[in-house]
Amino acid sequence: MEDYDEQFEKYLAEFRPRRPRALPDPINTHRVWPRRLAAVAAIAVALGASPWFSRANNSKDKDSVVKNVNVIPDIKREPPKLSLVTVTQMALKDPDQLDAQLTEASRRMLPDFRGSDSTLRVLAKE
Amino acid sequence: MSEKRLSAEEVRQLYDRHGPALVAYASSFVSDPATAEDVVHQVFHRLLSAEIVMPEAPAAYVYRAVRNEALNARRRGVRNVPLDPKSGVFEHRDGNPEAALTLQRALSELPEEQREVVVMRIWSGMTLEEVSAATGAPANTVASRYRYALAKLREKLRPFRQS
Repeated sequence: MEDYDEQFEKYLAEFRPRRPRALPDPINTHRVWPRRLAAVAAIAVALGASPWFSRANNSKDKDSVVKNVNVIPDIKREPPKLSLVTVTQMALKDPDQLDAQLTEASRRMLPDFRGSDSTLRVLAKE
Repeated sequence: MSEKRLSAEEVRQLYDRHGPALVAYASSFVSDPATAEDVVHQVFHRLLSAEIVMPEAPAAYVYRAVRNEALNARRRGVRNVPLDPKSGVFEHRDGNPEAALTLQRALSELPEEQREVVVMRIWSGMTLEEVSAATGAPANTVASRYRYALAKLREKLRPFRQS
């Protein structure tokens, strides 16, 4: 490289640009806190929304059942779906009704063994 | 050049070495020194957040990043204030605010590529070979740019050197 005007270079170096303010110290807090906050917010939303969802589902089911009953009287009325929240509420308010609901749910959800063509009879024959 | 993710310590070293020069460089795009400082800070903040993988030499990257950030700030209409001798980017060793202001003005009037070479060479302490590597310009081109830039600055600062 060529030899430049060293004196002028030195003169320019006498001018010092201002030193910017220091960088923030705890670097990781910038990365961790937003994630923690987002996780807490997501959990809070999920917890807050679950009862609302279950209530909304229940009321929707009831409405549709009522409509179906009015339009087609022969169709069996489908009992409301049981969520953990409704079961807990029912257990606290009316244990007898809970028993009835669970019995009815078990008939719907578990394999039927009473009928002539029930799952268990078919298996037994095999 | 290989890609690299800098550690926090390396970012701080980069900031200590090039921070002041980068503020001077940024202030040639945005005349407000506070904005120039913010621009440099933003770039290093992103480096600290470890989201940046450098595709080139760190010094070259920060110069490019500061330039882009400063141009964005200017486009966003960040206030472009008239130069104030009391809050300029440069300080002269003998405390001559007029000379400091003249230098800042003269720098911002240089073509971008000449300005870059001078700032890297004088205030970032890079050799012209390093500037060449950082800018990707051939060594002879860098040398010419530097020579032209010095000649223009010398002319502008002549009154202060004589006094």
